[in-house]
Amino acid sequence: MSAMNTSSIKIRTGNQMIAEGALFAGCQFFAGYPITPASGVYKSMIEQLPQRNGVAISAPDEISALAYCVGASGRGAKAMTATSGPGWALMIETVQYALMTELPVVIAMVQRLGPSTGGATQNGQADILFTEFCTSGAYTIPIFAPSTPQECFEVTTIAFKWAELLRTPVVILSDKEVGMMSEDVDFNQLKNTPPWYRKEFTPQNGRQHITYDFTDLEDVPLFAPVGGPNKVTMTGSAHDKKGTLQKNSSETLDVLIHLQKKIEARKEEMAVVRVDDQNDAETLVLSFGITARTAKEATRRARAEGKKVRNANVISLFPIPEKKLKEAAAGVKRIVVAEENMTGQYRSVIQALFSGKEIVGVNSIGKMITPAMIQNAIL
Amino acid sequence: METAVQQHTYKKENALFPFCKGCGHHHYVNHLDEALVKLNLDPNKVCIVSDIGCIGILDSLFATPHTFHTTHGRSTAFATGIELADGILNDSKLKTIVVIGDGGATIGLLHLVNAALMNVDVTVLLANNFLYGMTGGQHSQFSPLEFVTPTTPAGNIVPPMDICSIVKSCGATFVRQAAATDKQLGDVIAEAIAHPGFALVEILELCPEWALPFNKIDGKSINEKLHAENNMNAAAVRQDFTTLYKEKVLGSPKKMVDDTITPKYSSALNGTCRIVLAGTAGEKVQLASFLFMKSAISSTLHATQKNDNPVTQGSGFSLSEVCISSEEILYTGIDTPDVVIISSPEGLKEVTANGTLARCSSDTIVVAEQTLSEFDCAGKVSRLPLRALCTGSRAALSALASLNMIKGWVSQDALLEMIDGKFKEKSLLYHRDIEALIPFVKI
Ligand code: SF4
Ligand SMILES: [Mg+2]
Repeated sequence: MSAMNTSSIKIRTGNQMIAEGALFAGCQFFAGYPITPASGVYKSMIEQLPQRNGVAISAPDEISALAYCVGASGRGAKAMTATSGPGWALMIETVQYALMTELPVVIAMVQRLGPSTGGATQNGQADILFTEFCTSGAYTIPIFAPSTPQECFEVTTIAFKWAELLRTPVVILSDKEVGMMSEDVDFNQLKNTPPWYRKEFTPQNGRQHITYDFTDLEDVPLFAPVGGPNKVTMTGSAHDKKGTLQKNSSETLDVLIHLQKKIEARKEEMAVVRVDDQNDAETLVLSFGITARTAKEATRRARAEGKKVRNANVISLFPIPEKKLKEAAAGVKRIVVAEENMTGQYRSVIQALFSGKEIVGVNSIGKMITPAMIQNAIL
Repeated sequence: METAVQQHTYKKENALFPFCKGCGHHHYVNHLDEALVKLNLDPNKVCIVSDIGCIGILDSLFATPHTFHTTHGRSTAFATGIELADGILNDSKLKTIVVIGDGGATIGLLHLVNAALMNVDVTVLLANNFLYGMTGGQHSQFSPLEFVTPTTPAGNIVPPMDICSIVKSCGATFVRQAAATDKQLGDVIAEAIAHPGFALVEILELCPEWALPFNKIDGKSINEKLHAENNMNAAAVRQDFTTLYKEKVLGSPKKMVDDTITPKYSSALNGTCRIVLAGTAGEKVQLASFLFMKSAISSTLHATQKNDNPVTQGSGFSLSEVCISSEEILYTGIDTPDVVIISSPEGLKEVTANGTLARCSSDTIVVAEQTLSEFDCAGKVSRLPLRALCTGSRAALSALASLNMIKGWVSQDALLEMIDGKFKEKSLLYHRDIEALIPFVKI
């Protein structure tokens, strides 16, 4: 096998690969709090980040963990934390604060079931709407979902890129199966997005720094760190471009609109949907996270039976990759959306894109969706 | 960091204070400004991190320092992040000052506690006016006994928390208490800011809007609340977190073992083999499947592994599922196992409860410890004296290695290499186990 000379295979979990991806992306600050199934990210970052002259610390709760990260981001650090549903519930206000203050931060959300007491080691893909629609103001939180340890690496580099470029919180939505399962990972085959850093303010022509300055609504303000030579006015209150607390001025309303526009405007650029096409496909099997792997297996088996199936692994769940999803559905009669939650969360937000087509959900809770379940839904 | 140019104020010129007439916050802001002027700090090296409530909006009164207006109660946590990134990543000395009220300190108590424990170089100026002013005068956990507010109309019946004692017990190295009207307060604040490490000043104030109408409270009664013992440092000065972290943690070289696996062996396996190992915690079940997975990869196969155990990780059952394949593994679950090895009663209980046994087909190879009670299973069941021959702790791996010797899923050489590498001289026991088990494994 020719791979022998060129491969660098190690056994890694998805959680470990999120840490690897973060290090590659230039993450400098990590704060963690223990929670199954996300603790592997915390452990890996504690092991590796200080060696690279970064800060990896333990927080006394999830609110602190994210607030430490957002504070560090304000001082200019690329920052990340990792949690699961119960911890996310505590972090939400701080997520919104990062959004309002336009401070980049990456949150790895490794899904499971239940409150902290229950379901810690049961897989789930049932925090999709909970994660996306958690802000007052219904701002889009970019969400990327990996389905393998390899993809965890790549997706983490993508998450950092968009957090930095958009100056907004970005979520890596993993799940217990992807996060805690070990697999052979060939480090020489890893895909990535090169490290990005937010665009910084440099004083020109004696111009003073304005914390939230933009010309067009979709522009991203140039960054200056607190503690640097340019005065910064950070605030989570509704504010004008200078960061002055205001409620109803037209400039303040512009800032509120801008927070969404800057993300929306780059929607298609952020889209990552991996399609495995087949001529004359009648069914599109669409999935993400751990279930995307099962969907691929079901697709393979169905094709072996002579069925015409196209497969789409959606990596950028939000903003919804409308164009790519519509392209993926072109020509098919039926769309099967497989996800490990009872109510078809992702299906519910994308179905409007596919008018005139039959949409079928394959769902489960507490146990993995099997290839047979998906196969049964294929035309 | 002191600056060459003498600063006369850090406030905005003609700043209009947004507070009610007679509010203690006026004194607070002026004393803070006084302290900054006294220290003559470079405004770019000062960051005021404010909480919410009436006091939180003081950020708008300051012109030159950086300001960070945060969420309710969380200001200390944001400040901690700023300070660590500043001191450790930027090797700089930003003065991070937390402006928080008694409400914020109540909901965000843990952030204060942890900042004190860490001895992070942050200065907390706590404006304690015994109530939530901005939201309508509700009492807080800092309200004195018998204090009357809209939410304690009969008078407060719960004693107030003593924040100075709390942070002292957490090792805070600088704790002071003063009235907002105290002429010396500017000096106290300056001392707190200059202090290397966590510092807290509890500033007692009057909220004329909500405290005065219902309570007999004035400057004199506030002064009576000041406790002399609160102005003594409990803990000896110790290194702050940033200094300690740089000294003990940062850049510390940790031996990273190179765990790259070279696919130097081969296997005749065509397709996927899905194996379940079930036994007892502490009996190396998950290690067995890990070594098997490693040898599969070494045999140029793909492999996945996942483990399960009860909430208390060191007791009860231990379960491991390993899939090996000549192809990329897509589905990582095991519907119909190809192999099930059960080495203990706990393992049998679990594979019964989770449905593994019920999902076996007539092709499934089931190897079970001889002494286990009877169980229903469609697979080809062989009962072996695993525990008698190999003891519990080698049972799973020895059974799997014996089976593999016959079936050749992974290269047996690879597997023995992994066993030898892991167990060193004790690996002989495994070699002996395998020899002893082979005659029993008739598949
Ligand atoms: S409500 Fe009370 S605390 Fe708030 S500004 Fe008025 S007097 Fe001061
Ligand atoms: Mg108060």
